[in-house]
Amino acid sequence: MKLSNNAVLNAVKGAGNTLVLLLEALGHITQVWHRRRSILNQMHVIGTQSLPITCFFMLLIGMVFALQTGIEFARFGQTNLVGLVIVSAMVRELGPWMTAFVLIARVGSSMAAEIGSMKVAEEIDALEVMSINPASFVVMPRVVGYALMGPALTVVGTLIGIFGGGIVANMQLGVQWSDYFRFAERGAEALDIYWGLLKSLVFSVTAAAVACSNGMRTTGGAVGVGRASRNTVVISLTLVVFFNYLLTSFYRVVKMFVSGVL
Amino acid sequence: MSDNGKPVVEFTDVSKKLGGRQILDKLSFEVAKGETFVIIGYSGSGKSVSLRHMVGLMQPDDGSIRIDGDEITTMSRKELELMRRKFGVLFQSGALIAWLTLFENVELPLVEHTRMSRKKRAEVVQKKLELVNLWDDRDKFPAEISGGMKKRGGLARALALDPGLVLYDEPSSGLDPVIAYEVDKLINGLRDDHGMTQIVVTHDMESAFTIASRIGVFYHGEMIQVGTPDEIRASQIPEVQHFITGGREGQVSMRSDAAIARGVPPGLNSRRDVSPTTGNEQDAGYVLLSEEEVAASATRESSDETSSLEPEESQHENP
Ligand SMILES: Nc1ncnc2c1ncn2[C@@H]1O[C@H](COP(=O)(O)OP(=O)(O)OP(=O)(O)O)[C@@H](O)[C@H]1O
Ligand SMILES: [Mg+2]
Repeated sequence: MKLSNNAVLNAVKGAGNTLVLLLEALGHITQVWHRRRSILNQMHVIGTQSLPITCFFMLLIGMVFALQTGIEFARFGQTNLVGLVIVSAMVRELGPWMTAFVLIARVGSSMAAEIGSMKVAEEIDALEVMSINPASFVVMPRVVGYALMGPALTVVGTLIGIFGGGIVANMQLGVQWSDYFRFAERGAEALDIYWGLLKSLVFSVTAAAVACSNGMRTTGGAVGVGRASRNTVVISLTLVVFFNYLLTSFYRVVKMFVSGVL
Repeated sequence: MSDNGKPVVEFTDVSKKLGGRQILDKLSFEVAKGETFVIIGYSGSGKSVSLRHMVGLMQPDDGSIRIDGDEITTMSRKELELMRRKFGVLFQSGALIAWLTLFENVELPLVEHTRMSRKKRAEVVQKKLELVNLWDDRDKFPAEISGGMKKRGGLARALALDPGLVLYDEPSSGLDPVIAYEVDKLINGLRDDHGMTQIVVTHDMESAFTIASRIGVFYHGEMIQVGTPDEIRASQIPEVQHFITGGREGQVSMRSDAAIARGVPPGLNSRRDVSPTTGNEQDAGYVLLSEEEVAASATRESSDETSSLEPEESQHENP
């Protein structure tokens, strides 16, 4: 009983800390130009360096998804429709969160570890003592870099995934490329694309904030750094699937509103 | 030395509990302008914690801390940031930013807090890095240099803005004797040529007596004695004698793990503290030991030089 109380209390404290840190970092967004070098560096680490693995993941996910839907659609002789299903699923769901998963595993964990070691090595204290706010110097460039590169990678990943689906549809399911793209076009409209981008922006900011805040709260040497990194992955993944559910539900309402049902 | 003007740093009855233990216990001392105030004391006695209070990284539970007459315990973050510009701080591990080169590390305070041109900044950085003999290594990252070099880099960064008050947490630990001596000369130079106020935490007794205007001896969260090097050498207080002679004189000693294993009576435990061997928070207590045990647990700082400094009247008997 006591234990579960503490767990809840810690979770609430952690969430509060993360939110405050995020808001504080966003308060320093005016320093974007001053910190451009840091931001570009982060964009490179988060974006460029994650590109190959993201592409590989999304290609295979698109391929598997085409196979799976192809098997079912074949029962109704509707294999031509795979393009439509793949695109709608990729743009709004698989694209944003699979990219988010890849980034959390590759970037979030190491971001927490990096900041955690800074904390343990008194570097964060040194910044404070030099009157350099860590929220501005350390956190803001990471949040901004992540917020820019997450959606960018999502776009690339989604396109690759759709392409991967096309390969399977064409080579294994016998769908013509022209048919694939004809139905693919109907899979997503502007709102879906915006929604996918919105999702990936939310996921990116969440993951960056969680990583930074866990890093900044690291105590207890190398063990603490490992703990911060692990907590970051677990918490970010949990928040991403949770926020994803909320955003999808919200999408449904918006969609009904747009199409005049509501 | 202590009476030229009002104190730059003033601790009054500062108390702090950490992890359920009283780390600072009504700590009071003053540091005057232009002096080099050296703090010595056992590992884990709260020296670093008191430095952290001085720069507002920790808030006391009780008591008052004044810097240049301004109470810092009640300051807002903005006020603290302004106050901190008066400081240069050398952390125990150097605390250089890992993703910046040495040059960029020293340049950092200039970039953040001045409107100097790039060229002017480069001149300042060169001056500071040459001061600590690191100019040739300016393009290296902290991970590529030795512990002693990191510390010197941290020192160059602490001095970048020519602060009036510099805090050093163990400036010479991890340095070879020649460079440690250079750092001592540097500290004396800063006092003599620039009139800087300096507060130095050190375990190096020889260095302490070389650089100090006054020495404060830390013991269980309080200053048990403050005085000039001569006064400290001649101290009648057993704990002070014991410390400055590296455990050879005076009767208080740290209980070694071996002593615990041999079953030293727990009644002799005076207080909980950090284990001197592991640095972990645990019950390592100070106890009274036999002479052999005292000799066996003599700390590594002890050297022949310090023992020659012992005054005659240091033969204290166990109470
Ligand atoms: N944030 C903290 N939380 C809990 N305990 C702490 C914290 N910081 C320091 N302590 C404890 O306070 C005591 C004093 O630590 P401090 O670092 O000031 O020692 P020190 O005198 O500087 O020792 P050393 O000479 O080894 O550097 C130690 O027992 C340490 O475990
Ligand atoms: Mg210390």
